[in-house]
Amino acid sequence: MGISDVIPVPVAIDDEIEKWTIFGQPVAEVWFTTTEKIHQIIEMGPIKNIFNWGRKNSVYFLMQPMGCCGVEMFVFGAAPYDSDRFGCIPRNTPRQTDVMIMSGYITRKYLPVFKNLWEEMPEPKWCIAIGECAISGGPFYDSYNIIQNTADYFPIDVFIPGCPPRPEQFLEGLINLQEKIKQRKDKRDY
Amino acid sequence: MDIIDSISQFATQEPALFALIIGIIGAAVISGVVNVGAMLVIWGERKVLSDFCNRFGPNRVGGRWGILQLGADAIKLFTKEDIIPGDADKGVYVWAPIVASMATMLVAAAIPFGALHIGGKDYPLVVANMDISAFYVEAALSLMAIAVFMAGYSSNNKYSILGAFRGIARMIAYEVPMGVCVIAVAVMAHSLNLVEIVQSQTLWYAFAQPLGFVIFVIALITDLGRIPFDQSEAEEEIISGYNTEYSGIRWGLLYFQEYNNALLGSILLSLLFLGGWQGPIIPIPILDIISPLIWLFMKVVIVLWCLIWVRASLFRLRIDQVTDLGWKWMLPLSLLNLGWAAVVGSYFA
Amino acid sequence: MTNASEVLSSIQSAFPGAVLDSRVESDRRLWATIDSKKILDVCKHLTNKLNFDHYSGSAGVDWIARNEMEVVEIMASHGAHKVVAMLKVKTPRENPSVKSLANLYWNANWYEREIWEMFGINFEGHPGLYPLLLSDQLIGSWPWRKDFKGYPDLTTGERAVAITTPEGYTEYRFPPTPAEVEAGAVVAERPKYPTFREREEREIKSDSEMIMHLGPQHAMVPGPFLLDVLVEGERVKKGFLDVGYIHKGIEKIMENRTWLQGIVYTDRMCYVASLSNNECYCGAVEKILGLEVPERAQYIRVILEELSRIQSHLIGTGEFLTLVAGVGYAPWQYMIIDRERIISLIESVTGARLTHTFVRFGGVRNDLPDDFAEKCKSTLPYIKSRINEFIELFAQDAIYQKRMENVGVLSAEDAKRVGIAGPALRASGVAYDMRVEDPILVYPDLDFKVIVGTKGDCADRVDCRLREILESIYIIEQCLDRIPAGPIKPEAKIPKKVPAGEAYYRVEDPRGEMGMYVISDGGDKPYRVKVRGPFYATLQTLPPLLEGVYIADVVAIAGSMDGCPSEADR
Repeated sequence: MGISDVIPVPVAIDDEIEKWTIFGQPVAEVWFTTTEKIHQIIEMGPIKNIFNWGRKNSVYFLMQPMGCCGVEMFVFGAAPYDSDRFGCIPRNTPRQTDVMIMSGYITRKYLPVFKNLWEEMPEPKWCIAIGECAISGGPFYDSYNIIQNTADYFPIDVFIPGCPPRPEQFLEGLINLQEKIKQRKDKRDY
Repeated sequence: MDIIDSISQFATQEPALFALIIGIIGAAVISGVVNVGAMLVIWGERKVLSDFCNRFGPNRVGGRWGILQLGADAIKLFTKEDIIPGDADKGVYVWAPIVASMATMLVAAAIPFGALHIGGKDYPLVVANMDISAFYVEAALSLMAIAVFMAGYSSNNKYSILGAFRGIARMIAYEVPMGVCVIAVAVMAHSLNLVEIVQSQTLWYAFAQPLGFVIFVIALITDLGRIPFDQSEAEEEIISGYNTEYSGIRWGLLYFQEYNNALLGSILLSLLFLGGWQGPIIPIPILDIISPLIWLFMKVVIVLWCLIWVRASLFRLRIDQVTDLGWKWMLPLSLLNLGWAAVVGSYFA
Repeated sequence: MTNASEVLSSIQSAFPGAVLDSRVESDRRLWATIDSKKILDVCKHLTNKLNFDHYSGSAGVDWIARNEMEVVEIMASHGAHKVVAMLKVKTPRENPSVKSLANLYWNANWYEREIWEMFGINFEGHPGLYPLLLSDQLIGSWPWRKDFKGYPDLTTGERAVAITTPEGYTEYRFPPTPAEVEAGAVVAERPKYPTFREREEREIKSDSEMIMHLGPQHAMVPGPFLLDVLVEGERVKKGFLDVGYIHKGIEKIMENRTWLQGIVYTDRMCYVASLSNNECYCGAVEKILGLEVPERAQYIRVILEELSRIQSHLIGTGEFLTLVAGVGYAPWQYMIIDRERIISLIESVTGARLTHTFVRFGGVRNDLPDDFAEKCKSTLPYIKSRINEFIELFAQDAIYQKRMENVGVLSAEDAKRVGIAGPALRASGVAYDMRVEDPILVYPDLDFKVIVGTKGDCADRVDCRLREILESIYIIEQCLDRIPAGPIKPEAKIPKKVPAGEAYYRVEDPRGEMGMYVISDGGDKPYRVKVRGPFYATLQTLPPLLEGVYIADVVAIAGSMDGCPSEADR
């Protein structure tokens, strides 16, 4: 996906816009060349840094408790560890989240659901795998119902080991993710 | 003096154009003031709510108070992918956040943001000082419910449609008592103009008609869609309700307008019931000019703080209980209050 | 007072020849093999004549060496007496089939469905045998049979195939590979069952109705499960449940780990009550081993289990509050803060926040730290005052009372019938607590009340939970006063191999009655571990409670049950 998916272009008028003209030129052409140019400018540097600063400091996570780590995630968002300090707050709808916290075992039955949730999230988005189960299946590695190779299905940015990791480790993982966003070490092109 | 002269000359020669330019400047200033104010309200809510919950709230960007947190949120939302669900009613879906912003700007156009005290006289700061501004503002505040319905209806999502229905049911139930309360105030003030209502409050109307004040506060919270009346959103039941499907800046706009409304609503409450910008003039050279502004600002901040306090300490009502309360209690009581206002108002007049 | 041998003689006299084999383990445990033709009659007799009104669950066992399968029905009573009858029914391994008890006991439904999908034992007369925990792809391979080939050789990695559905969604399927079919790990032709969605769509009768999906990801669910509600406007007409989204197959995995390694898995069954789960498993194994736990270890276990109960109730109530009041509501954060204090107490002993693996066969892993008693004595009075504050707060909150009173009411009769467990059961006025019914450790010496509610509505359930915390604090205070010095482990070395035998052991989990049925065949691994989880029982009763309530109440009712789907799915 390219940058044009990130900066919104008007979609509602996509059909009619082709019929309109401005100064003798089709509006669509003018509009899209301008947005292309804007995107080129953005790609160049300082502006991108500002964008990344914004993204880094406003990471909303999807509230999706799955296993033991789900309980710790609950605590991580609540008063004792207060992820809100880093601008990281829970949202319940995937449409409004930036990071998916994979907080436990992914089973055969749950994988399609989970993938759906991931695809409902708007770009740019990140994924944190928390706990042994999410990373490799953990103590359930040989179960008939657990997916071990989660990294094959989700582009995981940060792995937080532990069974379950402490909320402090969650915070460290979050800070690592912020660093990653800031330095643009993301493989995905957004 | 040349500039002023030429401006006045221009004004006399081209009155229509002049009015248009002044209007555009006023709109720009007002929308700037309101939007920056709303951002501060969101930031304030996050900080104050954190305080109620024994935590810190945002404190990593913009110094230890996290004042730039909202900037980061806004940048992120602006650069987020824009998703419109495939089965959504595209036109309505796109327009809902815009209608919401329009609604708040309509309110902002007619609401006085305070006054300047120059030469022993108050000059109210208001873009459109209309005769029925109290009623107009109250009506325009509820336009948000239309935007909520548009958003909920067009999203093609079951949570959203329920949120939309709840929003409309709530709006209808509480708009009536709220309007009746505004009428009661107007009866006492002998005017529907907000500026005149403020100027007529030698005794705050919160004390002159306490029942009306309580009803208006409850109806206002309902209008703003805050706990205990946030059924159209109900994060834990119907997952953000009407804005479940909204993402990126469209969601940002909808979310933002709620706080815009909260700000404007608390200004309206201060104007109608808490004496507006009236208060003792501070006898210090420059401060005396803006002292009405300071008084209004303090009142608004206290009202907003109380709204957050309510959020931190009350449970959410069920939708049937909300409408029950609206129709069976608020409406008769507001009529009673109207009678009280008529009697007391005519006695004092 | 009825005891086990009286029950046995009563069955034998009523149905001569029905009892094929029997063993009276103690006054409280009866093991009997019942003729499969007579099991229904025996159960009716037990229920009607002998007050066995609590169907506690059933377990399937695959005796591959004897070429037969066994279904063990666990019967108990809600307070009339303290006997637990374990009734075994045998059936051949080819086309296994036994009589269903689902028409007799409402809650037998899920237990039998589970046994069917895991072992392939057919239940004659069951109202609807369709998959419960497993995804449709695994049905027909009967994973809990001893000859299941899919474990542990074949893993799920690299096998999921992404397909795009006509609606444009990406879905993952697990088609059997030829190698697997050859190995017999999966059957090539799986039985076709209507999917959950299809079954559910059938229920829509008119245009004004729709089905709302609350889950698997939803603010309401404490872990993934799917609660679908058929709504007309704001009213719920019917609820449907689909579980198994985090089915890990713990019971199968434990059969392939050594006895000691099994403790690790009990931790991860219900991660907010892992000490109770540890206790349950270790207690069952100790029973087979015939081990005596030193007194000091018993006290340590009781202290930690009660602490774990406190933190579990706090987070359960906290989650419930977020559901009915929104995340902005401050008191739930106070509960989490208070919980952190309890967690740090537990952590100072066990070294872990959630998964402790602390209880060992015949004792505990390590002794209490020196300053533990002081820390407890400074923390617990504070927690007590906070809990009293919370109780007072909710009692005075008009909106809370209006929202919660007479919502999700479960009468005592119904609560007994549907087999609900724990505080949710006690809120209905049934004083049924494992610490009294089946006392373990030093509980008989301790003084405590069983907290019961009156009406059985949401407010009662939350209130019961909060007042139970006060009781737990009282128990801990007594324990701290009485705890003797001494060893914390048995002196003799614990053998790696456990002698052949079986035991059923019950503890009071924070969510209610938890039982484990452990079978040993004399090896170094358990032959079978069956977990009777409390939330499994509670979850089952959720759909009938939802009929006729508002959508907002669905969330309140589900929240007041204090869920732990991980333990239900196992």
